[in-house]
Amino acid sequence: MAIRWTRRELIAGATLAAAAGSGARLSALQSVTLGARAPEVSDTLVVLFLRGGADGLNMVAPYGDDDYYRLRPALGLPAPNDARSSAAARALYLDPRFGFHPRLAPLLPLFHNGQLAVIHAIGSGDQTRSHFEAMATMERGLSHDTGASGGWLARHLECTAISPQPPLRAVAIAETMPDSLRGASAATAVSSLNDFRLSPPVIGKRPQATRTSALTDSIREMYGPTAGGDDLLHSAGRETLRAMDAIARIDPNHYRPEFGAIYPKGDLGDGLRQAAALIKGDVGLEIACLDMGGWDTHVAQGREIGLHALRLAELGESLAAFARDLGPHFGHVTTLVMTEFGRRAAENSGFGTDHGRGGCMFLMGGGFVGGRVYGEWPGLGPDRLEGPGDLRVTTDYRRVLSEVLAARLRNPRADLVFPEYTPSAPVGLFRRLA
Amino acid sequence: MAPEAHGRAESETGAASRTVASSLPRLLAAAAATGAAAGCRDLRREAQRLTGSSPPVFTPLPPDPAAADALHVLNRIGAGPRPGDVSQVAAMGPHAWIEEQLADKIDESPAVAWRVNTLDTVQMATEAPDALYSIDYGQLQRELSQAALLRMVYSRHQLRETLADFWTNHFNIFALKNEGSSLIPTDTERVIRPHVLGSFHEMLTASSRSPAMLAYLDNNQNRRRGDGGGPNENYARELMELHTVGVHSGYTIRDIQAVARCFTGHAVMVRWRRGEYSFDANQHDNGMKHIAFLDLTVPAGGGERDAGMVLERLAAHPATAHFVASKLARRFIGSSPEPLVARAAAAFLRSGSDIRSTLRPILLDADGLLSRGARTPLWKRPLDMVASALRAVGADTDCGEPIQRHLAAIGQPLYKWPMPDGFPDRATAWTGSLLPRWNFALALAGNAIPGTRVEIWRALEGAHLVTDGERIDALIAAFAGRHAHAADAEFLRQSLGKHAANARAAGLPESDLLAEASGLLLASPLFQTR
Repeated sequence: MAIRWTRRELIAGATLAAAAGSGARLSALQSVTLGARAPEVSDTLVVLFLRGGADGLNMVAPYGDDDYYRLRPALGLPAPNDARSSAAARALYLDPRFGFHPRLAPLLPLFHNGQLAVIHAIGSGDQTRSHFEAMATMERGLSHDTGASGGWLARHLECTAISPQPPLRAVAIAETMPDSLRGASAATAVSSLNDFRLSPPVIGKRPQATRTSALTDSIREMYGPTAGGDDLLHSAGRETLRAMDAIARIDPNHYRPEFGAIYPKGDLGDGLRQAAALIKGDVGLEIACLDMGGWDTHVAQGREIGLHALRLAELGESLAAFARDLGPHFGHVTTLVMTEFGRRAAENSGFGTDHGRGGCMFLMGGGFVGGRVYGEWPGLGPDRLEGPGDLRVTTDYRRVLSEVLAARLRNPRADLVFPEYTPSAPVGLFRRLA
Repeated sequence: MAPEAHGRAESETGAASRTVASSLPRLLAAAAATGAAAGCRDLRREAQRLTGSSPPVFTPLPPDPAAADALHVLNRIGAGPRPGDVSQVAAMGPHAWIEEQLADKIDESPAVAWRVNTLDTVQMATEAPDALYSIDYGQLQRELSQAALLRMVYSRHQLRETLADFWTNHFNIFALKNEGSSLIPTDTERVIRPHVLGSFHEMLTASSRSPAMLAYLDNNQNRRRGDGGGPNENYARELMELHTVGVHSGYTIRDIQAVARCFTGHAVMVRWRRGEYSFDANQHDNGMKHIAFLDLTVPAGGGERDAGMVLERLAAHPATAHFVASKLARRFIGSSPEPLVARAAAAFLRSGSDIRSTLRPILLDADGLLSRGARTPLWKRPLDMVASALRAVGADTDCGEPIQRHLAAIGQPLYKWPMPDGFPDRATAWTGSLLPRWNFALALAGNAIPGTRVEIWRALEGAHLVTDGERIDALIAAFAGRHAHAADAEFLRQSLGKHAANARAAGLPESDLLAEASGLLLASPLFQTR
């Protein structure tokens, strides 16, 4: 009889063991995990990266800042109470300074219920404003694009290693592994969860399902507890078979969202639906990484309609569906929405915006104080902007990431995950829990 | 292994000959060059000799413990046995075989020249590194991996190839950072491969001037303090932490900073002679440096010679000797028992950092590789698993993208480990990757990997085996190199026997049954360890 370990127990064990020193890691881990049996819902971190530099000023408009309208005469979203403009174009009230883009309406209830927080004017130290370098900096958890090459999530997985690694502990729902997970030997990149199954070659006209199940049975026997003692190899084999069984049970192709959730068509909705299926399937998922492209809006970004509005609609509807679908799991899933940089404060002549600095981050889930726009607002006045006219970065992105790791993934070792980062005062997202 | 061992009459319709026929013009030229007879059958035989595609042949194993010893050294010193290897090593005796591997002077398999030297990337790396910039990243990355895999699978210098992989990871470089893909081939051919069994000091010096390494560890940006710049400590830190003395040897951040200053100005040419090492005297910090940890004062005005002084001290440091010796011991025997590591470290210091001398106690002493303590099975990394499976079944493979995709899925995309510490060699790093191993095993045995061909049935040919039980035993002997009755194979034997019986009852044809049993064998726990 295989012992089923929940991920939270494993993490607790690993953190304990890591604290005790790497030499003691295995034995401490085993003693903790083998004794733990109570089923428990685990915390999962979903990282959604908006590729291309999403315009934070159009996602969460600073309608309370007059300079916003001076810099964005065509693109600026009217204030929530601006009776002169059509209601459909107005920003949605978050607080006296900020409002959501109207197409983020599906997220408004989550914000007001305290389940979603915005961190504004956030970013990294990258000054190149190059997509590649800014993404590399952020996904590697650095200050600039030099230094450690592995991803911040890979380092997190490394310093909370679990033995045996659950095969679906970290999953990128993508064609290729994102930089944030690079160096995590246990991370899996799957464009579709249906790939996570035994796939013997089709030979002749044999019914494939019959052979697959016969081969799976034989592998199950070879890795069974009686096959060769209970060593790491055999237990890892059984973990893998358990994950395969779980995915087969979930049947991702036919997974039905619950609680009336309707995911919009598109890669993001598909990816989040798979993430929800994995979370509910209890496969030991700790980290899921997803990407969404199309944010590099130099031209035709638009205001309440336009390229950006379309992306925001898909983002808002997908996240809202995900939140609804998770149901009782929602409080144990933290979703982080980030981007490599924000965009130039002033609009350009093509109804678009160019590469900038400070951007927006969203945090969705339970266990933190939502319903607020965090971060020191640097202002948009001429003397307040940076470089060619960009929103200054007042919150280092690692402040939020390290708080999330500590509070939700039980990993207090920000020094290992972000080697160049000297922690400053917490943003305060989790202050009630401290 | 001697090619004559496979000089059997080949089937006119053998699949290997079909594969070979596709490269017939090349083959004819090569066959003519080696003075092969012109007869068609001889030609085919010569083709198989040249391409190193020795199909599995059922060879009875010698009795244990000779067979078990031979398998052990083949698994640890190289990437596991090819068909017939266990018998051959057992006949030589493991000590003699290890000595032969250490001497590193065996006639190379023509398969290596045939398959590796024709790769553009390998040719350019040895002849004209700047031409590598004209090759796209996709081809560079494919051929880099191809060369490494083909050499592991086909080379008779198994120790050399194991060490090439070992040192590649010791001096790890990430292909996807900066221009890594264009620079790594030169690092492989000029820094790593010439030194794998030679002088560690020379390899370290070559690495410190390797454009790939300098670019990867940001030494391009390591400049004397001045307007808009200053030292970058990345290379200096990893030089000490990972390449030489090790992290707990007692140096401080001040030592790292002083070493970094010694390496200021060591950079990579960007225009003329692009991709070559250059020393920019204007960017070099020519002041005096004191490195307390090394008890070394580098006088002012030393220029490019500063780095040499540091490297000489580091290569002769007892902490480096111990770090390198224990890492080698872990690779070959899975642990680093102190009396053995101390002897190997002493040999390192005595010989002036000679790697061959360091290896001798680890591989040959009574408490080394052949001791009882070194027999605990070690988890194969994905590369070990893929290479050993291709060898075990005598695959005829180009090690191209389809094989590389399997290797990446199992978790070890070559040259794509981002951190400077190299792919991990701990079992716990790889426990999540069993499913892609199983899929690879089934695909390989089922002949479902393009560019790779296996002939499972050959393993049983001529052995007059009647029952499924006899055939399973023969497969275990041929592919796992073990007597089916050996304690560690007994459970596998039962499982495969049961699978074969069920498959036969389900009406599976003979060839499919053998493919499934062989795939399961390669997917079994037994085959995941070395």
